[in-house]
Amino acid sequence: MKPLDPRLLRHARSARTFVVLAALLSVGATLAVIVSAFAIAHALAPVVEGRAELVDVLPAVGVLLGAVLARTGLVWLRERLGQSAAVATVGELRGALLRHATRMPHRWRVRRGDDVTVLATRGLDDLVPYLTGYLPQLLLTAILTPIALVVVLRLDLISGVIIAVTLPLVPLFMWLVGVTTRTYADERLAALTRQGSQLLDLLAGLTTLRALGREIGPGRRVRQLGDAYRRTTMQTLRVAFLSGAVLELLASLAVALVAVEIGMRLVYGHIDLTTGLTVLILAPEIYLPLRAVGAQFHASTNGLAAAQRTFEVLQEPLPAAGTRPVPAWTRLHLTGVGVRAGDRGYLAPGNLHAVVEPGCVTALAGASGAGKTTAAMTLLRLQPLDDGAIRLEHDDGSTDLADVATDGPDGWWAQTSWVPQRVATVGGTIASHVGATDDAIRDAAAAATGLLDVVASLPRGWDTPLASGEGGLSSGLSVGQTQRLELTRALVSGSRLVVLDEPTAHLAARDEAAVVDAVRAVARAGAAVVVIAHRPTMLAAADRVVTVRSTPAPEPTTAPVPA
Amino acid sequence: MSTLREDLRDVRAVLPLLGLRRALVARAVALGSLTLAASVALSGVAAWLIVRASQAPPVMFLNVAAVGVRTFGIVRGVSRYLDRLAAHDVALRGVVNLRTAVYEGLARGRTESVAGLRRGDVLARTGVDVDDVGDVVVRGLVPAAVAAVVSLGSVVAVALFSPASALVLLACLAVGALVVPLLAARGDARAERERVQARTDVATASESLVARAADLAVSGRRESELAALGRAQERSADAERRAARPLAASAALAVLATGASVVGTLLVAVPALLAGTLTATELGVVVLLPLAAFEATAPLPAAVTQLHRSAAAARRITALLADAGSGATAPHDRTTAPTTAPAPTPAPRTGPGLVADGLACAWPGHAPVVTDLHLRVPPGTSLAIVGPSGTGKTTLLLTLAGMLAPSAGTVTLDGTEPRLLRGAERTAHVALTTEDAHVFTTTVLENLRAARGDLTRDEAVRALEQAGLAAWVETLPDGLDTPISGETVSGGERRRLLVARALVSRAPLLLLDEPGEHLPTDVADALVADLLALTALGRSVVVVTHHTGAVDRADAVLRIGTTTMSPST
Repeated sequence: MKPLDPRLLRHARSARTFVVLAALLSVGATLAVIVSAFAIAHALAPVVEGRAELVDVLPAVGVLLGAVLARTGLVWLRERLGQSAAVATVGELRGALLRHATRMPHRWRVRRGDDVTVLATRGLDDLVPYLTGYLPQLLLTAILTPIALVVVLRLDLISGVIIAVTLPLVPLFMWLVGVTTRTYADERLAALTRQGSQLLDLLAGLTTLRALGREIGPGRRVRQLGDAYRRTTMQTLRVAFLSGAVLELLASLAVALVAVEIGMRLVYGHIDLTTGLTVLILAPEIYLPLRAVGAQFHASTNGLAAAQRTFEVLQEPLPAAGTRPVPAWTRLHLTGVGVRAGDRGYLAPGNLHAVVEPGCVTALAGASGAGKTTAAMTLLRLQPLDDGAIRLEHDDGSTDLADVATDGPDGWWAQTSWVPQRVATVGGTIASHVGATDDAIRDAAAAATGLLDVVASLPRGWDTPLASGEGGLSSGLSVGQTQRLELTRALVSGSRLVVLDEPTAHLAARDEAAVVDAVRAVARAGAAVVVIAHRPTMLAAADRVVTVRSTPAPEPTTAPVPA
Repeated sequence: MSTLREDLRDVRAVLPLLGLRRALVARAVALGSLTLAASVALSGVAAWLIVRASQAPPVMFLNVAAVGVRTFGIVRGVSRYLDRLAAHDVALRGVVNLRTAVYEGLARGRTESVAGLRRGDVLARTGVDVDDVGDVVVRGLVPAAVAAVVSLGSVVAVALFSPASALVLLACLAVGALVVPLLAARGDARAERERVQARTDVATASESLVARAADLAVSGRRESELAALGRAQERSADAERRAARPLAASAALAVLATGASVVGTLLVAVPALLAGTLTATELGVVVLLPLAAFEATAPLPAAVTQLHRSAAAARRITALLADAGSGATAPHDRTTAPTTAPAPTPAPRTGPGLVADGLACAWPGHAPVVTDLHLRVPPGTSLAIVGPSGTGKTTLLLTLAGMLAPSAGTVTLDGTEPRLLRGAERTAHVALTTEDAHVFTTTVLENLRAARGDLTRDEAVRALEQAGLAAWVETLPDGLDTPISGETVSGGERRRLLVARALVSRAPLLLLDEPGEHLPTDVADALVADLLALTALGRSVVVVTHHTGAVDRADAVLRIGTTTMSPST
């Protein structure tokens, strides 16, 4: 894993600003540290050597105070800006991730949707400690360490050489320790996970053990497991802390060596006290950011891993978008439509032939897993085809559905409606959800779908507020009633294609009849209705029933039919 | 957001359950102090060495200091390694004790509160909470104690040379050790609430964008929902910015305190040197030593944050144990019930078996599902309870087994109330197999031993045969020693395994919930018939089932959920 992934800078503008800012603050901090070291040495040395009184060194003390105040301000700025820049960066990545994921094909989302949700809701938040803790220290290491080292080299070559030689040993030894202990640590880690889940397993089985009168004995088992867990953890830690110990030991030993070597040369006057003190104060500061990087490393890995998974999603190619305006179509013609089912080597649906016409209800039937929902998604342009074609037939020929635009007033979605099983509302009222500008049109549509009866039964009628979320259930509407609400909305919007996902699933017989009537009413009004259906009542009400089947995938040599 | 005082109180409430050993805590604090003391000494002796060297004394006068500097450098590195290990060791021991105490508290607790634990998230959270309480030792208590020891030690060391400088250092360390962490802990409650709310809003908007992607795209609301997510993120960022304010002030103040101690010491100590009360070498020590001393107070803001997190975990654990209705006992005065020892053979039964009079049962907080029930299951007889789902068969069974309190009437088992039976006593009377009984993530044999610790392999094989699992065990790579879990066995296998587990129990009365579920009807009927035939061996059996094919083999049948509810013999 790279300590600073360039893709992070590419995808999140705030991260770029933040890195520049943190680098500037690091330069400031470096200057403050160096100035402090000089100021302390210049305040102390003349007094020690009996060359000066307090008034003589007051300027140096003043400079020190200035450096301290500057450093205080820089730390304050770093904390204030760091936190908000980190949150902004996470926000940009989350936005990009969700924007991309919502444009991916339906089938991809079925497979990866849960991962994306976990990344967006929890995973990416782990980037905050990386951005506020690890990255600034990394930059400080990159800026302060070399600059301070050059200063020491200029002041005193021998001390500088000691530091310059020991400094690379730190990452070298950490790497060596890491490499030699990795297998061991991985084994320990696996043992830890195993023991941890055994403990949870005993807790989960507590009721069962009680039912068998055997709950008290396992208390001892919990203790034994816990002790084993503790011993394994300690073994892991003994190894895991080694790299940190090497870092600390090298840093403190190098500082000690510098002190002794300066001391010995001071005796013979090879170096003056001011220089000696400056180097002594600067030496630990050179190792400090490196030590902090080591300490923050573990806290940063989760966030980096989450960012990496996000970049992998962002690199997935989006389906091609069409550009042509939708023609005045009279029929939708599906020929040999197939969609690959993940990596599972078959098409679901496969070799699907159908004709969808305005004024007709077309039912998609078939076993579960045959690809009914995916077939519906291809009609909605939410799932590209791997095989076959869907053509829009019109008076002067036919257009491939894949070539027409989706968004915009001339796009496919402007004349299609999708009614999922659980309708989601976004607040507002029944009237605003239906979205009619003319009450007469609205009432006619509502009368056709049976929504008018529902509205009449509600005390606030059309002004009944809808909850935000799925089902609008807290608004007091049943599942069947929300289906009719959604169908009314489709009618009012003048959709030419209305696709429904099992609208009568889970409905009682009376509600089912009402929804079936509403579906027929939408077709009568001139829309092409496609409905995924299981129940006999819904299938009986359809003009055509198309059976969706899965088929073996075409040979790998067969390229997908070009769009 | 709770105050520091409340956090301390709530953490202290669970500390006895950690059973921390004084000697080990002292060792961790001592090693931690040694690390930082070596660091402080390294600075002090190095300063002395350099200043003294500048006075060009014979080199032999410097040798001790030169060795000292190097020694402290090594001690610091080695001791850092040891102190981290010691602190983690103390914490892990505490976690083991706490986990055992939580387990035992729940094991003695009320059934319905324990039943909630089966939910994966509650279970996982309990595991994390226990670890979080343990972390307060490593990140909270030990660093605080070390900071106190090292800070005061440094002040005393400086006071030996210059009392005035020591006062300056004391004042600055007090700011670093008290004001800085308190400032970090000071988040105002409203900002914290807003922060949590804003985060929830962002999470909800994200989830809905993915879950409703198709819906939003077709209805043209995708862009507006993405914009809504953006607004929620703005609010979240604002809230985070406000929450970061005291933290930034705290971090800045820590830097200021360190710097101020050097400036202050210079201003106080330089005149002391000129006045002749302080030597040149002492001046060097007094000025440079504070830089290292502040290393001790650096982890304190993180300690306060950890305290806050641990307190939240401690509150959940306390609530869980209180809900289980048991004051969990501290580890050292645990009663050690020897139940891993071979289960005692059932006491010869003199009692009348299972008797219920005027029994009403209900899940706590719900309406009774069965009322005014009278039944008798004398030793060596069987009873089948049948009825449609949702009529309270399981609740009745749990009440008969003493896992739930009757809401009215009485249940007795050989004259005692089954609710009062614990551990081995219970095993001597009754074994209950619920429908959702747990399959442990261990071997087949150990899963059966969950019912009886001294079960032999032969007995296990026989029980598995009886439950119709002989062929299944043969297909397993390591036979009885094959590890299994709830996820790796099928519904039917699981059901039979639970029956086998009930069979190996020595309890004279077996209560089984739906033993034929997930099995083909004829197989289920045969299994139920086999179970009912156990009465021939002198055991009593109560079976809840909706497979009515075999129930006529039972000595009595109780039909519930219908108008009459009396046993038909």
